Amino acid sequence: MVTTAPARSGRPTADGPGFLGRDDLGVLLDLLRDDGRTLIGPTVDDGTIVYDEITSVEDLPHGVTDEQSPGRYRLENRDGERLFGYVVGPTSWKRWTFPPAVELNRGTRDGHRVTFEATTVKPPKLAFLGARACELAALAVQDRVLMGGEFVDPDYILRRANVLVVAVQCMTSASTCFCTSMGTGPEVTGGFDLSLSELDGGFLVTAGSTAGRELLERLPVRAATAAEKYGAAAVVAGVRAQIGDPVTVDGLHDRLMAQLDHPRWAQVAERCITCGNCTLACPTCFCTGITQVTDLTGENAAMERRWDSCFSPGFARVAGGSFRSRPRDRYRQWLTHKFGTWWDQFGTTGCTGCGRCITWCPVGIDVREELNAIAPAISLAPEVVLVEPVAATPNDFVTARVIATKQETPDTVTLTLTGTDPAFARGGTGQFAMVALPGFPPLPISISRFHADGIELTIRGAGPATRAMAALQIDDQVGLRGPLGNNWPLDRAVGRDLVIVTGGIGLAPLRPVIDTIIANRRRYGDVKLFYGARTPADLHYRAELERWGTRDGLDVSLTVDRAGPEWTGPVGVVTQLFDQAVWDASNMIAFVCGPERMMQATASTLAGRGVPASRTYVTLERHMECGIGLCGHCQMGKYFVCRDGPVFSIAQLGEIFGREGI
Amino acid sequence: MQHGQVGAHPRVGVVKFASCDGCQLTILNLEDELLSVVEHFDIIDFPEATSARSAGPYDVLFVEGSVSEPAHLERIVELRKRCRTLVTIGACATAGGIQALRNWGDHDAFRASVYAHPEYIHTLAKSTPIADHVQVDAELRGCPIDPGQLVELLTALVTGRRPQLIDEAVCMECKRRGVVCVMVGKGIPCLGQVTQTGCGAICPRFGRGCYGCFGPREQANAAGLARYFEAVGDRTTEDVGRLFAGFTAYSEPFRSMVSDLGGTRWARGEGAVEAAPAGGGDARN
Repeated sequence: MVTTAPARSGRPTADGPGFLGRDDLGVLLDLLRDDGRTLIGPTVDDGTIVYDEITSVEDLPHGVTDEQSPGRYRLENRDGERLFGYVVGPTSWKRWTFPPAVELNRGTRDGHRVTFEATTVKPPKLAFLGARACELAALAVQDRVLMGGEFVDPDYILRRANVLVVAVQCMTSASTCFCTSMGTGPEVTGGFDLSLSELDGGFLVTAGSTAGRELLERLPVRAATAAEKYGAAAVVAGVRAQIGDPVTVDGLHDRLMAQLDHPRWAQVAERCITCGNCTLACPTCFCTGITQVTDLTGENAAMERRWDSCFSPGFARVAGGSFRSRPRDRYRQWLTHKFGTWWDQFGTTGCTGCGRCITWCPVGIDVREELNAIAPAISLAPEVVLVEPVAATPNDFVTARVIATKQETPDTVTLTLTGTDPAFARGGTGQFAMVALPGFPPLPISISRFHADGIELTIRGAGPATRAMAALQIDDQVGLRGPLGNNWPLDRAVGRDLVIVTGGIGLAPLRPVIDTIIANRRRYGDVKLFYGARTPADLHYRAELERWGTRDGLDVSLTVDRAGPEWTGPVGVVTQLFDQAVWDASNMIAFVCGPERMMQATASTLAGRGVPASRTYVTLERHMECGIGLCGHCQMGKYFVCRDGPVFSIAQLGEIFGREGI
Repeated sequence: MQHGQVGAHPRVGVVKFASCDGCQLTILNLEDELLSVVEHFDIIDFPEATSARSAGPYDVLFVEGSVSEPAHLERIVELRKRCRTLVTIGACATAGGIQALRNWGDHDAFRASVYAHPEYIHTLAKSTPIADHVQVDAELRGCPIDPGQLVELLTALVTGRRPQLIDEAVCMECKRRGVVCVMVGKGIPCLGQVTQTGCGAICPRFGRGCYGCFGPREQANAAGLARYFEAVGDRTTEDVGRLFAGFTAYSEPFRSMVSDLGGTRWARGEGAVEAAPAGGGDARN
């Protein structure tokens, strides 16, 4: 049992600093434990200082320091009994606030019925002991990313709320440190409950929150002397001087983003093994992937979210290959995200200068060197943002039931679903749903029609999961999350002529646009639909195409790559159709959906016919893994396609549209 | 999955070529899942487990071992015709195995130095993976294979989905498990960065460097790693080459590292065969 502070002369003020004798540090640990908290702190394991569960002061590293350089970490004994005379090791606190593997939900499939149950966590109460300034900054960055906006991670919120943070001022630095440049340290200035500065014989203790003040009140401390306060400040000032300012951060975002074609990307890729260590050692990286954990029948499946890395080849793989196929693309993605697009997405740096990615790169690549080589001081023109994200993020899969199926083409089926989440009734054109059958990975599927009490999904059976979905029969069930993503900007089309260009199943996400136009036909000018397919049999929604052209007042032009004897229309790519079309581009807006190459070709043809980039919209299909807006798989420049898109204007995408390896 | 007749279980065979049978034992070691496996599959051929024999046809055929003898050449082609899905298991079947180290040497001289009557030994000059001879539908890597990946593959076969055999570096598994990097922390050379995961990072977990038994991962930058090994360690080019000369040495790009950098003294009959590259030794000073 712990007693509260004994009567000593000179209590500190509520926030401190108080002086805690070395022998009384255990009292703090006891107080935290009495509060029901598990203690996580630094401890020596196998020659390295890691963070792990600790039970007493004895578990802390005594009299050791770390020597770090690119690709190298060694512990060394140092004089004295210092407990915090080192910097950060390979572990970061995200291991507890954002664990390597988290179960999201469990799904079961019993014949035609599917059920989903979100996994609820009751996170343990923790106390982090020994967080450094750069680490407090990292927690703040993840706070911003994972719970600071519209798209949040409920698991993180629960875990984070149960953490009490005891910070420690750095007394030394490693050669890999650059918190000074990133503006995150070395001084601990906020984001803690209690902070400690280690001195000979004890610690200065400062409170930074109500919980911290309560703890301080119960600690056996006296008011710190002026000499002790000066001594503590001098130590951290010495650390700052030691680190210097290795990276010039002013204008770094623009300088870096202007160098997407720098030859250094290819050079660093010769050295980079794309192992992903930097991303998993990084305290702010938050990308995840979803794995199915199933029993042998596949009928009982858990979806597990695991740390993933943009360096793994599978990270950006979509139908047809990876959009970052070269290692240089992946290195560029990582560096430009950390130091560039992170600002655009979250209004904060993605790097806190902790140096883990330098030390724990097995081949010693130094991010500071790469930045200094790649990003010389030049300026960049401002960019345009036109479409505001309107996505919603329901957390759980809701079971919907198939009430109709229609074979569109030999391998494509339209499912009509009812019993959907009421959110779908408020959904809009261009949005998509995450669709799940237990045992299969969840897939993003465009909504091809909205009904008052349900939706339609048009699914091409291309792989095992889509084949299983396309094989669903009436009364079968499926899990849905959504609607997700933003809308085609139909408000901008009011009073304008509209040109819609698409091919094959690309018509599916545009079908709700056509539905809306037909329902409000007089709001829009001329509407031209240019639609191509491989063969006549691959044209989707045949009966509707006919009706749109005859009854509903749309100008429908069709083309196929390969015609059969029954086909009397044009043969060739879809852009050839509107080469000959007569239109007034001054009042025109264009919606385009197809593979990225087709959309590039279409956009440039449209530009040649006078349709401006700001009024040419495309919908991007990227590797959407979770649809929650936080896994990182679908990133394109400063956008996450699932939350900022999938609909973008060409002007908004700017020079990243069509660039290889973005 | 779709197979044979409606309602029947998939007919499964397990056969071996040049191998140690360790991967077959991994199947038998699936103690918790074994009953469930037998419920979902008809195992019609599995010499390590049953004396029952079948000539197929098989819905799924697991093939262990490398093609190492003249008779293997015909046999694998014949087996391929008799199975719907062919899955290779283990480093021998997927990479040629440790026995593929002979591919850099003088096959006849080896044979003569080991056997009193080499004329009785009918072997091919090279040990090669199954995929060099017939189409392979899925592969389980490793020496031996990982039981978790085996269950995942079986589950995928029952469910009819793609197996989640993730192509990423062993490092990812180390980092998720909180294993301290043996290269950075101890200077032990480790192939984890260029090796496909699936083993659960078992060697680094025990303080050893990965020696690549799961084989190279996609786009493995083995040349970059070799340059680093040579730059920071106290070792010759040939030493670096030999780091890649393990159970999956015959898989590219490890094969090029061995061929280009050397480290094949054993194959030329120069000096004794030394210990495998894993384990101790400081990558740096």
